[in-house]
Amino acid sequence: MELYRKTAAELSGLLRKKEVTACEILDDTLARIDAVEPRIDAFLSVTAEAARAKAREVDEKLAKGEAVGALAGIPVGIKDNICTKGLRTTCASKMLENFIPPYNATVVDKLNAADAVIPGKLNLDEFAMGGSCENSYFKPTKNPWDTERVPGGSSGGSAASVAACEVPLSLGSDTGGSVRCPAGLCGVVGLKPTYGAVSRFGLVAFASSLDQIGPFGRTVEDVALLFGAICGADLPHDATSKDYHFPGMDADLKGLRVGIPREYFGSGVSEENKAAVLKAVDMLRDAGAVPVEISLPSTDYALSAYYIISSAEASSNLARYDGVKYGYPGDRKGTLNDLYLSARSEGFGPEVKRRIMLGTYVLSSGYYDAYYKRAKMLQRMIAREFTDAFEKCDVIATPTTPSTAFKLGEKTSDPLEMYASDICTVTVNIAGLPGVSVPCGFDQKGLPIGMQLIGPKFSEAKLLGVAKHYETAVGGFAVKEL
Amino acid sequence: MEIDVRRIAKLAMLKLPEEQVEAFEKEFASIVAMVEHLPELESADTLLEPDNQMHLRADEIVPSYPRDAMLQNVPKAIAGCIVVPKTVE
Amino acid sequence: MNQDYEVIIGLEIHAELCTKTKIFCGCKNAFGAEVNTLCCPVCMGLPGTLPVLNKQVVDYAVKMGHALNCSINRVSKNDRKNYFYPDLPKAYQISQFDVPLCEHGYLDVLMDGDVRRIGITRIHIEEDAGKLIHDDSFDGTLADYNRCGVPLIEIVSEPDLRSAEEAKAYMETITNILLYLGISDAKMQEGSVRADVNVSVRSRGQKEFGTRTEMKNVNSFGAVYRAIQYEAQRQIEVVSGGGVIEQETRRWDDAKGKNYVLRTKEDAQDYRYFPDPDLLTFEISEAHVQELKASIPELPVAKALRYVKEYGLLPVDAQLLASNRARSEFFDSCVATGKCDKKLICNWMIGDIAKILNERRIEITDTALTKESLTDMIALIEKGTISNTAAKTVLDVIIEKDVSPAEVVEEKGLAQISDSDALLTLVDEVLAQNAKAVADYKGGKTNVVGFLVGQCMKASKGKGNPAILREMLLSAIDKL
Repeated sequence: MELYRKTAAELSGLLRKKEVTACEILDDTLARIDAVEPRIDAFLSVTAEAARAKAREVDEKLAKGEAVGALAGIPVGIKDNICTKGLRTTCASKMLENFIPPYNATVVDKLNAADAVIPGKLNLDEFAMGGSCENSYFKPTKNPWDTERVPGGSSGGSAASVAACEVPLSLGSDTGGSVRCPAGLCGVVGLKPTYGAVSRFGLVAFASSLDQIGPFGRTVEDVALLFGAICGADLPHDATSKDYHFPGMDADLKGLRVGIPREYFGSGVSEENKAAVLKAVDMLRDAGAVPVEISLPSTDYALSAYYIISSAEASSNLARYDGVKYGYPGDRKGTLNDLYLSARSEGFGPEVKRRIMLGTYVLSSGYYDAYYKRAKMLQRMIAREFTDAFEKCDVIATPTTPSTAFKLGEKTSDPLEMYASDICTVTVNIAGLPGVSVPCGFDQKGLPIGMQLIGPKFSEAKLLGVAKHYETAVGGFAVKEL
Repeated sequence: MEIDVRRIAKLAMLKLPEEQVEAFEKEFASIVAMVEHLPELESADTLLEPDNQMHLRADEIVPSYPRDAMLQNVPKAIAGCIVVPKTVE
Repeated sequence: MNQDYEVIIGLEIHAELCTKTKIFCGCKNAFGAEVNTLCCPVCMGLPGTLPVLNKQVVDYAVKMGHALNCSINRVSKNDRKNYFYPDLPKAYQISQFDVPLCEHGYLDVLMDGDVRRIGITRIHIEEDAGKLIHDDSFDGTLADYNRCGVPLIEIVSEPDLRSAEEAKAYMETITNILLYLGISDAKMQEGSVRADVNVSVRSRGQKEFGTRTEMKNVNSFGAVYRAIQYEAQRQIEVVSGGGVIEQETRRWDDAKGKNYVLRTKEDAQDYRYFPDPDLLTFEISEAHVQELKASIPELPVAKALRYVKEYGLLPVDAQLLASNRARSEFFDSCVATGKCDKKLICNWMIGDIAKILNERRIEITDTALTKESLTDMIALIEKGTISNTAAKTVLDVIIEKDVSPAEVVEEKGLAQISDSDALLTLVDEVLAQNAKAVADYKGGKTNVVGFLVGQCMKASKGKGNPAILREMLLSAIDKL
């Protein structure tokens, strides 16, 4: 039985009907990983031993007729910037090559409580900074649809592992599009939840005010299943988390107003991507939705605000990596300054250093008001424009990325070109909104195109409901044969 | 626009070898030029956000971690302490 | 100090708060534990960990704000102060920058009975750093992170202090208030109260301030005094010699009695303050602010002034008595009994009782002394039943166990002997044994009578009534 092709919902059904065991699901997952990893490179570590122990525990519970969690026996891959107790968590950085956290991220605790099985840790751009997964210190991950192309980033491993059917579900993190963009480029579903819906405790911080952990799956239902298991308040550990409970997907689409913001359909986005999204909106209209033209004028400035805020926070968040307490040990024979400089300069890759420099600059004396404060003001303006827009519509549809997956190495020499690939997604983080990317067709090269659906804060039920309607209307999303 | 990248590197505690300064300056200037694309906005005095507040914690003890667990990732420790190069005081 | 110059001083006092837990995690807030045993991933700044603010820290800071007559910013936030140092695991300190919890206050300080009003710029909350252990036997520095995340308030004064004495009195008053409010142990020797001192000098009559220096590592009242004396003298010598004061940070070495440059203006750090994105804005309700205000007890300076005004105590005595909350409250309760003279209670409190408490390093509440027992004892003195000397013996007993002083007097036979016959025998004996003193007296040295009274008291084992003895002595000598 090719279990690896099945969705989490299907596996869950089989397991509960006792047609398969959690150990069989895990064996199939590990075999699939063995088979396709040489071509995909999504995993930084495969944690078979710990996974098997959990699978056995689930099987024992089932054998004894005990209750099991919502994700019992389901393999869930974890982006390697999410802390796993006793399991190496590298952030794809030389800096944390050997870092073993003595604690779990709250989401990992929640997955354990839901009886999920964690088969391994997934590749990313170093410290989640990048849009192609090429900034990993260890290796680039490849796009399953064309292994000469990038899977997108920074959660490239999370997206590729799901697209390649190595796991049915995975977790990524999204600071400016890092879940949605790779979901779009790999043809899977990826949700960036409302800021505060999922605890950030144990997510190695890139930009604290924008970071949010989000689920990947091959179906909307699977993404909803995983989201339901990880969301909710974490008051003892995360002061920014909110008391939110996911009620399940909304079913009704009648009269739904779908906003089409003209700024997202401009010259920066490829014709093929625009056309695919507009076609998807047509299908929603056929299903009873009402398209509405809207405008989000500050979008033009969003990339600036995003790179200022995210880099500023990153420069401070990443200052703790100094060779003293953990991580790359640096030169320990010289002075304190030698230790600091060597640990940080040798432990971080070029993109991370670039962002630290930018962030340091925008916060430095004399520049704070001109850059950081202005960016924060703009953030308020962008959030206000969204609030106004949601008076006119219920959800907003845009392309997820300006183009489909590009070739490995194609953009590595020009940071600005790489930054521009976040253009459709950053506003959602800046405004703290939920956004989901769903596959909406292919370009002429056969590469997947993503449609981003954006809703008001804590509208995940509606957002995923709309996505589900669309999925049903198109008869499900394609899976790449490998 | 002149950006003192040496000063920024010093603040960021990153090495910037002399031979790389010129190239980095150029690249950095282009990035800064990109992020400078911001409108003139009325600036608030503070960045308080009264509409988005956090929860505070009750003053209740949670057991600390075993020292071994806290030191397991430390590059160098002696007698339960973390070792750093001599600080000048 | 050269009288042509005026010294301008501002203090930044850091006080550790005695909450149960640290400011951003649930680790115990305690001094003296084994190294790195009061740590968790949060206070050690491990990747992915997040701070959650302890509500008690906010409450304590607001209490201090009320005590120092500040306005309270009900809507506030936390900011990051970024710099690299091995005692700071995250390489930033969570502090408050542009919206401190409390600001624009003042503190009245008693200087020789006069009130000096010192402006308070602000009070903010922040986390303490770890401890670095330097040992010459070892080529390196050791870091202990137990102190990381211990809650601090920083109290910044206006540059209103004008002498080392004033600065010392200000710091003592602040410390007393911290203890009064029960928000800090204020143990200097454990470093739970520390000060940075800003000093400048200017010619008398000059309007603008001179360039100031900041001194770090000033960790006791004595050190505050010495550090300021030293720095003011140094600056006056520079200025009067035609030199210029550099804006710099200096480090005070109390053992050597000297300071030296730590950082010049050129090395001034750029802390890149910005709102901590892990901690959102927080708000304290007006009702809670008022609730905290209502919980503030009468504070030492107000209390001392009241003692002077209402009870006629000497300012210096009143201040001494009021400086300790437990003792002054005990005093208040004694006064409320109305059984004896207030001044006498005060004298016993700041005299013999204080001596015992200080020697034993205990507080009044640790003893068996009650308002009844002390006032009963003093009443016995007032009635002439016991002498002061005998009262000390009574005190020794009633401080150990709660018994009535009258019983102690009875049991130990401490009542004064006012019976003339018994005393007459005693006086005759003393006069016979001290012929030289008697001769001296007759020769005009009338003050030897005190000595003779003392000898009689001794012979009576403290039970004689000294007033009666004196009269008897004088008439007996006259008859000789």
